[in-house]
Amino acid sequence: VNGVHVRLRLGRERYAVPIENVLEVAELGTLSALPGTGPAMLGVRNLRGQVLPVFDLARVLAIAADAGLPRVVVAEHEGWIAGLAVDEVTDVVALAGAAEPAEAESLSGAILEDDQLIGILDIERLFSSLAAQAA
Amino acid sequence: MSVVDSEFIGIFRDEASGRLDRIVDTLLALERGDAAPDAVDSLFRDVHTIKGAAGMVGLTDVSALAHVMEDLLASARHDGALAAAHIDPLLRASDALRLHVEGRGEPNPGLIAEITAAKAAGNGAPVEPHQPAPRTPVPEPAAESRSIRVPAEKIDTLLDLVGETVLHRRRLEHELGANGHGGHGIVTDELDRGERLLDGLKGAAIGMRTLPLSSIVTPLPRAVRDLAAETGKEVELVVVGAETELDRAILEGLSEPLVHLLRNAIGHGIESPQEREEAGKPARGRLELRAEQRGSIVEVTVADDGRGISEATLAEARRKGSLTAVLTEPGFSTADAVSTISGRGVGLDAVKDQAEAFGGSIEVHSEPGHGMRVILRLPLALALIEVLLVERAGNVYGFPLASVEEAVSLGATLSLAGEAAIELRGRSIGLADLAQLVGADPAPQVSRAPVVVLAASGRRVALVCDALLGKEEVVVKSLGPLLSSLSMYLGAAILGDGRIALLVDPAVLVRASAQPRAAAVVAPVAEASAPRVLVVEDSLTIRELQRSILEAAGYRVQTARDGRDALTYINGDGAIDLVVTDVEMPEMTGIELTEAIRAHATRSALPVVIVTSLGDADDRQRGIDAGADAYMVKRSFDQHDLLETVERLVGR
Repeated sequence: VNGVHVRLRLGRERYAVPIENVLEVAELGTLSALPGTGPAMLGVRNLRGQVLPVFDLARVLAIAADAGLPRVVVAEHEGWIAGLAVDEVTDVVALAGAAEPAEAESLSGAILEDDQLIGILDIERLFSSLAAQAA
Repeated sequence: MSVVDSEFIGIFRDEASGRLDRIVDTLLALERGDAAPDAVDSLFRDVHTIKGAAGMVGLTDVSALAHVMEDLLASARHDGALAAAHIDPLLRASDALRLHVEGRGEPNPGLIAEITAAKAAGNGAPVEPHQPAPRTPVPEPAAESRSIRVPAEKIDTLLDLVGETVLHRRRLEHELGANGHGGHGIVTDELDRGERLLDGLKGAAIGMRTLPLSSIVTPLPRAVRDLAAETGKEVELVVVGAETELDRAILEGLSEPLVHLLRNAIGHGIESPQEREEAGKPARGRLELRAEQRGSIVEVTVADDGRGISEATLAEARRKGSLTAVLTEPGFSTADAVSTISGRGVGLDAVKDQAEAFGGSIEVHSEPGHGMRVILRLPLALALIEVLLVERAGNVYGFPLASVEEAVSLGATLSLAGEAAIELRGRSIGLADLAQLVGADPAPQVSRAPVVVLAASGRRVALVCDALLGKEEVVVKSLGPLLSSLSMYLGAAILGDGRIALLVDPAVLVRASAQPRAAAVVAPVAEASAPRVLVVEDSLTIRELQRSILEAAGYRVQTARDGRDALTYINGDGAIDLVVTDVEMPEMTGIELTEAIRAHATRSALPVVIVTSLGDADDRQRGIDAGADAYMVKRSFDQHDLLETVERLVGR
């Protein structure tokens, strides 16, 4: 792992997204439900005139989060865009170090910082699992 | 020259000129030895298209010269290479064509004889050039015209801004209305003025990017009549939706494919009057050209009521899994005979390439004896549609106004064979809850709830909602590729109050309502008896997409990362009914996997569908040679195609 990452919190767990994959961080805002979609799909929101699909990142990673998920990380990969609802966006930092292999398919690895394991999100893999869970 | 609209000739000139540029480039590349592998195919298609279009606009000198060039290229295509000695006469013929296209041509009996002789002399035989090295004619200065060239992206930026301005306007109206300023005289006047200005701006901006289909179809009825007369057939052309606006860049490139399709239909589709009468059809054949906006795309359909595909083609389509794939293979012809009316193997593959170059797709439907329907789906740069907005269970939905028949309030309902229905003017229409149909939690219905009657694909459904919010012109926004598997929605629109309206596809709603109690969006749970599909793909994204599509359709899905992985699985468990595989993969390619399956001791009959990003003829051939049952290209990848193919092969 080497590069600038946006770090975020979900419940008691911490994750990081490579900054190249982050367009912006927004409030959760008002979501319109999208009937016919899976439980990880929270709905769509109006983000400055664009329609942004928002997903429950905790549910995708199958972990427990606080109620509410007030923040949205707007992630992008090769033109595919999705909002990832999280508890908190903590900071933007340069991460460097040897990654340990991670079990979850949506993670490219994990690194240990200040005694806490940080999962590095692989946005491409995360998006394919989101696309699979959308319907 | 016959009397044809000058607009059509102008379009022909632009297109032919572009194709001639490419022909010359390709010939020169062949001479240098660095041409693309499909160079001869590309030459053949370009010349063929020029011939066809020139015939259509009555430029007989052009079509005569192009015809002999095409002949020579057809034999080169057959031999797999173009003889070096043939390049020079083809270059000179291209120059002569260019002069004709520019309106300065003269008949070329010498060139025609030379090229005919070159073809007769055979591929390898040296051909003496009659003239020294080719000379490119100096292009004349552009004809006096008051048009300017603007990059399409600049107009797209303008359109985006217009779309945003429409949204801004709705927001402003909403805010002013909410704060009670709406009644103020000056504010009202300025708002009215703003609305008129915005309408003008919208019209002008859209007009820069789009033209109605009618701008290219005007000469078609006459051309169809002439072609029909030439072949001794009676054909009537019916144009529906000529006012449909299409992207200008697409429209200009669309006349060629349309001409191809009409010529095909007249040449091979529609039968002679006697043959039609013997088959119990009216002597006069019917050809329909229809355009219709559906969300952010326009569907252009060419349909005939002729003889349709042959039984042999149908059998091939069954074997390969897709009629569209069979008919759009390079070299496939719907006719046995070679005539000047229609081609010898060019047609649908060129139309498909065109449609895909525009970011669209093609679909063909046909049955022996029952005509053919070719559907082109083309994108729109700015999609504005009029919708009826309704509310149900807390969500706002929009129905395209074109599909809305009427809105009534719910009175007495009746029950037909256990299904709810309402009666309107003596006709009973199936009644459904909009919430349930789209897959939302069904909330209690209000009393005397409004009911909207939608019509699509010849069927109707009456939908119960909570409130009618009114009619609005909205900008269609795509839900994005992550949600592309949701066929229910045409997209979404942002309303004046910032809320999002979900634009529902009436055709899908009508279909869903026809299935008793089962909403289309509720994925059936795979039963233990459901067929098992093995998806072999090294890209995780595509693998998971295919898995989700197949699972949503009720299949049980197993995945493998490459051919070796797949083969291990087949050798071990073996409980697989069909394989869907990519071609380029590490360890073992899809072609090698297919060959291994065909050579397998016990599983050699396992159906294999190849899905690949490689769309060229060689690759297709490799796949077919290896024994694949169907072949699909990712660029045109469509989940309906995949499901249709899989369904056909596992016989569900």
